[in-house]
Amino acid sequence: MGSIGAFVLGGYLGPLVIIALNLVGATIAGVAGRLVRVSVLLTLPIAISVVLVSVFTRAGTTVLFTIGPFDATAEGVDFAAQTLVRLLAISLSIGLFGMTTDPRAFVLDLERRRLSPRFAFVALATLEAVPAMVERAGVIQASQRARGLDTEGSLRARVRGVVPLAGPVILSSLTEVEERSLALEVRAFGRPGRRHLLWRNPDSAAQLIARSALLLLLIGSIVGKVTGTFPQTP
Amino acid sequence: MLELKGVSYRYAGYAKSVLQDVDLTLADGEIVGLVGPNEAGKSTLCLVAAGLAPASIKGALTGTLTIDGEPMAGRKTHELASRVVVGFQNPNTQRSGIAATVFEEVALGPQNLGLDVPEIVERTRTAMALLRIEAIQLRDPARLSGGQAQLVAIAGLLAMRPRHVILDEPTAQLDPAGTRLVGDALRQLAAGGTSLLIAEHKTDLLDGVCSRIVAIDGGRIALDGPAGDVLADPRLVALGIQPPSRVRLKRAVDEAGVDARTAASAAAAMVAVA
Amino acid sequence: MIAVEDLVHVYPGGTRAVDGVSLRIEVGERVAIVGQNGSGKSTLVRHFNGLLRPTEGRVLVDGVDAATLRVAELAAKVGLAFQDPDRQIFSGKVRSEVAFGPRNMGVAKDQVGSRVDEALAAAGLSGDADANPYDLGYSRRKLLALASILAMRTPVVVLDEPTTGQDARGVARVEEIVAGLAELGRTVVAISHDMAFVAESFERVVVMREGRVILDGTPTEVFAESSWKELESTYLEPPLPARVGARMGLGATPTEASLVAALAGRAGATDRASGEAKT
Repeated sequence: MGSIGAFVLGGYLGPLVIIALNLVGATIAGVAGRLVRVSVLLTLPIAISVVLVSVFTRAGTTVLFTIGPFDATAEGVDFAAQTLVRLLAISLSIGLFGMTTDPRAFVLDLERRRLSPRFAFVALATLEAVPAMVERAGVIQASQRARGLDTEGSLRARVRGVVPLAGPVILSSLTEVEERSLALEVRAFGRPGRRHLLWRNPDSAAQLIARSALLLLLIGSIVGKVTGTFPQTP
Repeated sequence: MLELKGVSYRYAGYAKSVLQDVDLTLADGEIVGLVGPNEAGKSTLCLVAAGLAPASIKGALTGTLTIDGEPMAGRKTHELASRVVVGFQNPNTQRSGIAATVFEEVALGPQNLGLDVPEIVERTRTAMALLRIEAIQLRDPARLSGGQAQLVAIAGLLAMRPRHVILDEPTAQLDPAGTRLVGDALRQLAAGGTSLLIAEHKTDLLDGVCSRIVAIDGGRIALDGPAGDVLADPRLVALGIQPPSRVRLKRAVDEAGVDARTAASAAAAMVAVA
Repeated sequence: MIAVEDLVHVYPGGTRAVDGVSLRIEVGERVAIVGQNGSGKSTLVRHFNGLLRPTEGRVLVDGVDAATLRVAELAAKVGLAFQDPDRQIFSGKVRSEVAFGPRNMGVAKDQVGSRVDEALAAAGLSGDADANPYDLGYSRRKLLALASILAMRTPVVVLDEPTTGQDARGVARVEEIVAGLAELGRTVVAISHDMAFVAESFERVVVMREGRVILDGTPTEVFAESSWKELESTYLEPPLPARVGARMGLGATPTEASLVAALAGRAGATDRASGEAKT
């Protein structure tokens, strides 16, 4: 919800509020440090390119400085800053969600609320697939290094190493997906109809209130934006 | 009874048929071993017998697969589940990833069948008891040894109470401890009454568990008979299949021209240490 | 050739995979390392080519501390063939897959071809030289991975579970390759779960359990009855000839040949005894 909110709310205030809320939540959950580190690391590549592009190409009148044919405008800097803040709000929201939610419990709960188990599999398989892929990539890299592929050397050497690394990673990932889905089919995963669930997640009143409040806030902000009732925020 | 008649199978996009005119019967409660060199068609035979080829794995099937008299052609994969299931060699890819405990992992199959909770629990408990894995029922399925994970996978298949269980090289990726674990479990399974078709390279494993052995080579059935006979058949070696160590040793002793009495005591010793 | 001195390796998660191992592997030796998964076998051999660095202790390759060399440099001394060929094969052609190693090592272009041919011949894949690796079955892909290491002509060749998943012909081919390497004077180290393969093809067996070496000797010593308790403690079973020989009181007979010889010896003794009794 934080991500959608960050999108919807304009200016700086909205996303900053969301960032603040996320950090509060993260501190309560005890993952604040990790969350900030991971979010910053993940957003950095996009952030850099966004900043560069916006600062220099955003149409504007107040030129701050010039590099070659490119003018850095105040409007550009302003836009870049707003986008950065939004990006951070989004990544913090998603990150907090990922770090505090047990994926299996979440997905089971979705199924209880009538979402198909197939969705559950896709969601969880994606989550599980990442560490498996990272491990596989590690083994593949080791195999190629054992044959003299130099991963510690020059940039050119490393570029040449992409195919021997990427190829087997992709292929073995595909094979793994195929094996997994076959094994699930054998266990009647594709059978239409509801299944009886073995247990349900405990749900406290506090959680229910918090969820409803967030949802109302989100709807409120979307409505506000659409109907133009929000004042121009700085 | 599971019956393959005149079965040939060609994978989609390939010119050659991997299976050629295969006839194979698996009677209720029978334990049959399937041996053959790599690329002979063992895995394809397992997939076809389980109905997954062509239902899930695209290809052209000629001939018929019949289970208890009913043809399986055109059936969807989930309809096959209560009749025939197949286990694979990789214990990790058979793990669903959506179960927090071994119990839930084993219960997944019955759950998918839409059974009610008491029935799910009953089937799960029975399957775990048969494979003696009750002790690990609350463990995280992702944190088990290869052998244990394979047992969990097999239990998950059994929990669906299929008539026939096919296992495609269950110990191929296991270490000796895991192989022994699964080997013992197979003996338990054999006593349980479900019919089993086990494809394996490790003929030592099949020796003593299977009543019948089928040898396949180049997509065709080369041998099909009582386990003792087939495993001792001299043609096995020519087919690229390694006979059990007991058979190899006895052959080496006999070929060395050791006198009959010594050879006999050696043979007795081999049986004793098995 | 390889000296391991008080090696300890602890993985980032805290697992103490190798817990104080010291051993020496001489030039030309054929060593098999056995043990359950998690016993430290794979961790140990990955120090030989620098893929892993010691947490404590050191590993010397040909007299040089491996920690001072890059993996790419060590690859010229120690070739390591991994267990899963599909985590290595990337080329669309068998020939170029095998050429990968020598090319990385800077072998002259005109020499690469002959090395590839030689390696393919040793692996029995000469007829598949222009095939796509994925048109070969698992057995042959495994042999292909082996061939790609052979082409590097490293003085030490390490094989990680070369017979796992192989059919009888594949195992026979691996045995030939090991014997061929020994004839050329190369050092061969193999991790294996197949006790019969180990007993028949290697002159030294190192048994590992929980990061330590618990047995180290010839197959005769390691599979003799006196070692069974240690073997059992890590769920390993000696090959059938050893068990039969012990049962018949013939001493340590780890291989088919040694058992047959012992039986013939006893038969001869019985004949002599009954012969003397007659006269």
